[in-house]
Amino acid sequence: MTKYFVKLRYYPGDPWEEINENDLKTFEKEYGVNIAYEKIENREMKDGLRMEKTLDKRIEDISQEVITLSAEKEDNFSNCIIALYKKYRCPRTPYSLMGSNDAGQKIAKRLMDIHGGW
Amino acid sequence: MKVLALNGSFRKNGNTEILLKQALMGAESEGAEVEILRLTDYKIEPCRGCGLCLFRENVCQVQDDDVSFIFSKVDGCDGMILGTPCYFLELTAVVKQLIDRCWILGHKIGKIRKPATVIIPYATRGWIPYVSVQSNILLNLMGLTKINEITVCTQGISEVVLDQDAMDLAYGLGKEIAVAIREKDFIYKGEAGICPSCHDWLVRILKDNETVECPTCGVRGKLSIVNGKISVQFEEKAWIDSRFRPDVGYNHFTYHIAPSKDYFLRTKEERKIKTQKYKEYLTE
Repeated sequence: MTKYFVKLRYYPGDPWEEINENDLKTFEKEYGVNIAYEKIENREMKDGLRMEKTLDKRIEDISQEVITLSAEKEDNFSNCIIALYKKYRCPRTPYSLMGSNDAGQKIAKRLMDIHGGW
Repeated sequence: MKVLALNGSFRKNGNTEILLKQALMGAESEGAEVEILRLTDYKIEPCRGCGLCLFRENVCQVQDDDVSFIFSKVDGCDGMILGTPCYFLELTAVVKQLIDRCWILGHKIGKIRKPATVIIPYATRGWIPYVSVQSNILLNLMGLTKINEITVCTQGISEVVLDQDAMDLAYGLGKEIAVAIREKDFIYKGEAGICPSCHDWLVRILKDNETVECPTCGVRGKLSIVNGKISVQFEEKAWIDSRFRPDVGYNHFTYHIAPSKDYFLRTKEERKIKTQKYKEYLTE
């Protein structure tokens, strides 16, 4: 099993800019990590806003973009997370790292404080 | 045209009340109907943090106080003037208590737009940094657009009447809000400030030591020194993220708050076990 593994869950409005799979591939090469990307879209246009009922949904099922990052080396992992936070901002809720392993989550959280605001 | 003044001071005929009444006289001179509420005359219970307003169609558990009456008055006015003295760098507790109860209005962020102004009497220069930020929060949560703000350095009860400039400013502020309502002109008319959105002067330095943030709006930029002067540049795209825009407010409640119910329910058993020792600790 990979030593460092994190799921960064970005909800609508969270990323500074649109998450681009080509950019993620570039990060993958640059930092020597593995990155997977998944997009879940369940919003519908209503009253001029893209809306969605989220109250009784599972966290994994609501609209979101999930960047899954894994690496064996801490430096590679941390540097890639910093790059992702700088480009897209960090995920923003207590449950936005759900599905990560403990080692990965610890690093992702610490870097949020520095690069994502608090 | 109705102009409502909310008074955040306990003192009767104190500086805040006098300045608010002076502003209301100005509004009246432009044809406004006016009303003033002293918040300390009403029962404003603390928010109980129960989350009902967020999770059950805007229901508030606190029913035995006057907050819904105050909100109905705000709903019924066309413009509002908030007056609050500065106590220990911040606005008064009664106003903060009202801010906390605004969760019930949270879904309205950015949806209703009426003009508002703020009057802040304070005693000592340099001891007032957070009042403007806090009043901006209240106005934004109430769906009001700040068009101006005045701060007045004054101290003892009713001493402000000795300061004719301040009295004239307040009168002008009242006239201004009435004209703004009549002409539907909600453009900000006060000092520009650092943040082009909330016009406050406060910025927060993030721990990366590269980024600054407007603590009220949440928009980010860079700080630099230009010709010996501090300059803050906010990127154009930063405004998309201003937290009091309707879509940003909607996303916050829909994606940051509402789904926490699922997380809360999922972690029920683990929390039950881990909180047990705290339930048993220091209890009689």
